[in-house]
Amino acid sequence: MSRLAAICKLWQSIAPRIHSDVEEEFRSTLEAYQGDLIRQGLPEEEARRRARIDLGQPAAQNENYRDAIGLRFFDELGGDIRYGIRALRRNPGFAAIAVLSLALGIGATTAMFSLIYAVLLHPFPYAGADRIVNPVMIDHQHPDEWSWFVLNQAQFDDLRLAAPVDSALGFNPSHMEITGGGLPEDISGVYLTENAGTFFGVRPLLGRNIEPSDAENGGHAIVVLNYRFWQRHFGGDPHIIGQTLEINRAPYTIVGVMPRSFAFNDTTDVGDVYLPGSLMRNLANVPYLAYIPWLKLRPHATLAAANAALEPIVRQFAKEHPERFSDRWHLALQPIIVPFQQGTGHTLTLLLAGVVLLLIIGCANCSILLLARGRTRQHELAIRSAIGASRWRIVRQLLVEAIVISWTGAVLGVAASYWLAKLPLLLSPDSFPAESVIRINAPILAFSVALALLCGVLFGLVPALRLSRHDSARMLPGRGVAAAPARHRWSVLIAAQVALTLLLMATAGNAIHGFLGLMQMPLGYDPANVMKLGIMLHVHDSGEWSRIQSREARTAYIEQIREKVASVPGVSTVAVAADATPPYPGAEISFTIDGNRDGEQPQARVMLVGQRYFAALRIPLLQGRVWNTDENTRGDFIAVVNHAFATRYLLSSNAVSNALGRRLRIPALTGQARYAAASAQSTAWRRIVGVVGDARNAGVDRPVVPAIYVPYTTVMPPYVQFFVRTQGDPLASLHSIRAAIASVASDQQISSGSFNGTFTLNEAIQRDEQYRRQRLFSILFGVFSAMGLALALIGIFSVVAYSVAQRTTEFGVRLALGAPRAHVLWVAARLTLVSATAGMVLGLALDSFLGAILAHWMQGAFAAGSLFAAAALLALSALLACLLPARHAISVPPGEALRYQ
Amino acid sequence: MTKPVELPQGTLEMLILKAISLGPLHGYGILLRIQQISGERLEILQGSFYTAIYRLERRGWIKGEWGESENNRRARFYSHTAAGTRQLKAATAKWTDMAAVVASILDKKADEV
Repeated sequence: MSRLAAICKLWQSIAPRIHSDVEEEFRSTLEAYQGDLIRQGLPEEEARRRARIDLGQPAAQNENYRDAIGLRFFDELGGDIRYGIRALRRNPGFAAIAVLSLALGIGATTAMFSLIYAVLLHPFPYAGADRIVNPVMIDHQHPDEWSWFVLNQAQFDDLRLAAPVDSALGFNPSHMEITGGGLPEDISGVYLTENAGTFFGVRPLLGRNIEPSDAENGGHAIVVLNYRFWQRHFGGDPHIIGQTLEINRAPYTIVGVMPRSFAFNDTTDVGDVYLPGSLMRNLANVPYLAYIPWLKLRPHATLAAANAALEPIVRQFAKEHPERFSDRWHLALQPIIVPFQQGTGHTLTLLLAGVVLLLIIGCANCSILLLARGRTRQHELAIRSAIGASRWRIVRQLLVEAIVISWTGAVLGVAASYWLAKLPLLLSPDSFPAESVIRINAPILAFSVALALLCGVLFGLVPALRLSRHDSARMLPGRGVAAAPARHRWSVLIAAQVALTLLLMATAGNAIHGFLGLMQMPLGYDPANVMKLGIMLHVHDSGEWSRIQSREARTAYIEQIREKVASVPGVSTVAVAADATPPYPGAEISFTIDGNRDGEQPQARVMLVGQRYFAALRIPLLQGRVWNTDENTRGDFIAVVNHAFATRYLLSSNAVSNALGRRLRIPALTGQARYAAASAQSTAWRRIVGVVGDARNAGVDRPVVPAIYVPYTTVMPPYVQFFVRTQGDPLASLHSIRAAIASVASDQQISSGSFNGTFTLNEAIQRDEQYRRQRLFSILFGVFSAMGLALALIGIFSVVAYSVAQRTTEFGVRLALGAPRAHVLWVAARLTLVSATAGMVLGLALDSFLGAILAHWMQGAFAAGSLFAAAALLALSALLACLLPARHAISVPPGEALRYQ
Repeated sequence: MTKPVELPQGTLEMLILKAISLGPLHGYGILLRIQQISGERLEILQGSFYTAIYRLERRGWIKGEWGESENNRRARFYSHTAAGTRQLKAATAKWTDMAAVVASILDKKADEV
């Protein structure tokens, strides 16, 4: 209470006295003086007059008072603001367009930058994400390829305690299945060292993180859920904490749910569940705790220094386990953003350049509008100046108006940026990582707002500057009739704006062209109506496992399922394979060709497939044959290669038939991996019996690499894939296919799509990194250029509209004197058309100048077609934006136009 | 007849403070008091008089309260605040000092300068 009273008192002491109070006091003084004058003998009327002459008018006293206590500046400013708002309301079209274009400029720039920042520059929610690195091994023979390496506990500790390392996280992604429910479900689990909570520094959505205490007693049986898994499997149940989840037939207590933005590990595979790493010790089949490390460097450690410090440690590991390292390699600490940006290349720079272009276009627009408006204000300002307004008052008036406009635009722009940032996601939800959380980037927002305000102020002041150069008397009579000064600053701006817009549009055209090209590129296989199903064999159920442990039993089991699925109505072909999903099938493996020199280690993509794979994917057979059922069961001594393989490795002359009958062997095809079963002669020589067509196997946009197909029975991992070609939509048959599988093995789970699994091959293409990236860029550039175009058109439109409104009288005179309408139209639009054309020419020149660079950056031929399409679209819309407002010039009757003043 | 004196800038405030040092006065009263003390020699610019009062009040040197004047009118009476009393003392001392120094210089004969 006393504080309130104190505030009241303070307010009373600083608050100005109210109007009536001041006036009453003055009046009482006035009357006292008047009374004295009357007493001195003056007549009442005369006394009244004298009193007012001596003391002043009571009405003016309040102004006097506010002046005395220093409020006058604010009063005038308030007046300026009121006047500015009134002026804007008198001309709502101008206000709307100016505010709109500013809002769009600020909003678009901020939104686009925030989006790029969230998706490409800073996609991780982890604390100190910029310091987290990923030690990778770079093979000197293939410097473009890098591999992660696995450490045991002792090695992990060595790295963790190294000088430049602040903290280290070890993880181990693992295939798991959820049991206990109806159908078993494949999930991806990630074991994490128990410091995960502090290492990531991400607050869980529900419950808690994995904590160091979870390592006690060989690891607590707890699990933390990934957001998407929680949504998918538990329907986002908020009361999930404390419940039990059965994984691999053992109960785990759910202790936490991570937020949506947490998608560890984005690069390899996002885990559905996270478990304490110490639990790995209990698994009989894990000989040691194997970790892939992530290191968080100390705040001031440089990458190079850390690299140098860690290299000797890893060299030591290589001595201990030479089999896990190639011959010549070096260590590289890779910031975790790198896998994300691989292939993004210069497009990222282009995108950021696009953001800047957009901002420049927005500012140019604002400036054009203010300049155009400034011209119409010239007359008014001249009058104000002539009747005694000071320079400062006029500057202040204009400043206030510019700020009113810029500020409104900025506020709307901030609001708009939230919506605009979501626009690309609405247009194409699949193109963005589901986890990316797009936040408005405060620094860039501040920057674009500041720039826009600055622009508004600078260009808003131009009329005041011009006023000083011409004397006001000369400006006064000239309204409307006098020919406008020929040089307009905004012509330059229009030209620049058009040029930049053309540049943006051409880039967008290029990106879209590239993406369309990608979509139309022949794949070499037919993804339509093919579905992929993954099944994981029951390695954790010892009873069942013993039944299918042998290679033969496993083959029989799989073939049994295959036949059942093939008998489902609507299914035309079913093929078995292991990890052979295009466009990234198989793995790069070394092989030897009979007759080639020893020591040469050529590589090819090796795919383990059933003989029906080619039919199911419609990969054409070019030469020879595919193996038959018996050969498939045996698995050995036979192989099929693709055309790229034949031309690269087999052709001494140009006859493909040479290829058939040659032999090759693949030493790496052994059954050493856990749960794998290999045939007796899996690494022996294989005869090439057929050559098939090239199907994309290195991503959708890259040339096909040599490939070897061998029967899947050669080496059988504990999981297989079925490629099911159906007559209609494959997903429609999914239910009956599941039922068919269940009829063979009631608890055989089908992979749910979480583990790198997609159901249709078309989806597999859409999830391809390159495809997604190209689509993302097309969308972003498309949105960029649409916004740029909108801004440029607003600029052109408003300038023409302004000059027409300003010159209405002139047009009236011209029409009255008999000028043809077409001519008047031309006069009205001429200047802007000329600047727009100049801008187009400039843009085309700029574009061809940058063409070579762009072509290099955009990974694709620079398409002249898309440039001209963009130019044509821009020219057409610019023409429309010119002519629409110019039409107004000829639509006014001459008589009315002359009376316009 | 004595010649009217024009006030240097800023001295009006000092005079107003002095005028109300005997007790609260309303605006017109202050005006009369100053004229009376000065022997009608001061020509106060009427316009600037109230400006000075407003400024003094704003600075917190005087405070105004509504009351009743001698002829039963409502009038605003001004009196010193504590800060105003201090200000008057300081200003008086400063003025006296300055006047003495200036006077002592001006009193010198031409050959003493």
